[in-house]
Amino acid sequence: MMKICIACGMPMENPADFAMGDPDKDFCVHCARQDGTMQSYEEKLDSLANFIVRTQGLDKQAARDAAKGMMAQLPAWKK
Amino acid sequence: MTQYAGVDEMPESQRQKQKKQTRKHLITMAFNQLAKDGLINTRTADIAKAAGVSHGTVFAHFPTRDALLTEVINEFGARVTRRLHELAGGGSVHEILEAHLKGLAEFEPFYTRLVREGSLLPESARNTLIMIQSAVSFHLSQAAEREMAAGIIRRLPMHLLFNTWIGLVHYYLANGDLFSPGKPVLERYGKELLEHYLTLITE
Ligand SMILES: [Zn+2]
Repeated sequence: MMKICIACGMPMENPADFAMGDPDKDFCVHCARQDGTMQSYEEKLDSLANFIVRTQGLDKQAARDAAKGMMAQLPAWKK
Repeated sequence: MTQYAGVDEMPESQRQKQKKQTRKHLITMAFNQLAKDGLINTRTADIAKAAGVSHGTVFAHFPTRDALLTEVINEFGARVTRRLHELAGGGSVHEILEAHLKGLAEFEPFYTRLVREGSLLPESARNTLIMIQSAVSFHLSQAAEREMAAGIIRRLPMHLLFNTWIGLVHYYLANGDLFSPGKPVLERYGKELLEHYLTLITE
């Protein structure tokens, strides 16, 4: 069964997609810290904005704003 | 989900059920109408008409036109990213770009509207476009890193590798009326664009 990462929206199908390779987790391998806990809002915002800058070339502030907007749609950060 | 299933599946009242169905129906009809007439030009009255409900019913479900638009675009973004992930996971650069074209071709009319009108739309719509691009750039960058290291494709900055591809595809989509009047652009040119792009980046 496919799940969607609550913190970044990535679809997770294979065990390797999940945090600690554990399909019971609700967040993905990219949203997990070394110890297997979920990254904080600030950590995720930083990594998502950096990823957008690196792979899509957006302006740093524009990427950060977009990342905030995307995160606002996700269950982990929805207010 | 399992231990709470009893709570989740409590019988809904007939009214709630119908409300949910109408909302879903409105989103589907809005999606079709927006793809046809444009995200900026489509009127809520036309969506109501297409859905076979009164104009007031639209606003009983969505407080404003923007709220409906945002909902449709968000749902679209979720569907496209899920599909792209499904198609592209773990492949080569070639396979990922092929999957990208296939995924976009399935949603070409609406996606083209988003590309054409994106900069005029509310911020949430632009964020959805960036979210879709992120799903693609995520898979592409992973495959490209592998293939750059293996000497299969040229060493290029990741954002330019991505934007050169997107620029090419979006140019054809945005000018579809010139490249492929009345017919899907990607069906006609997708293969040619992909082959050309691969020639450019291959070592
Ligand atoms: Zn995640």
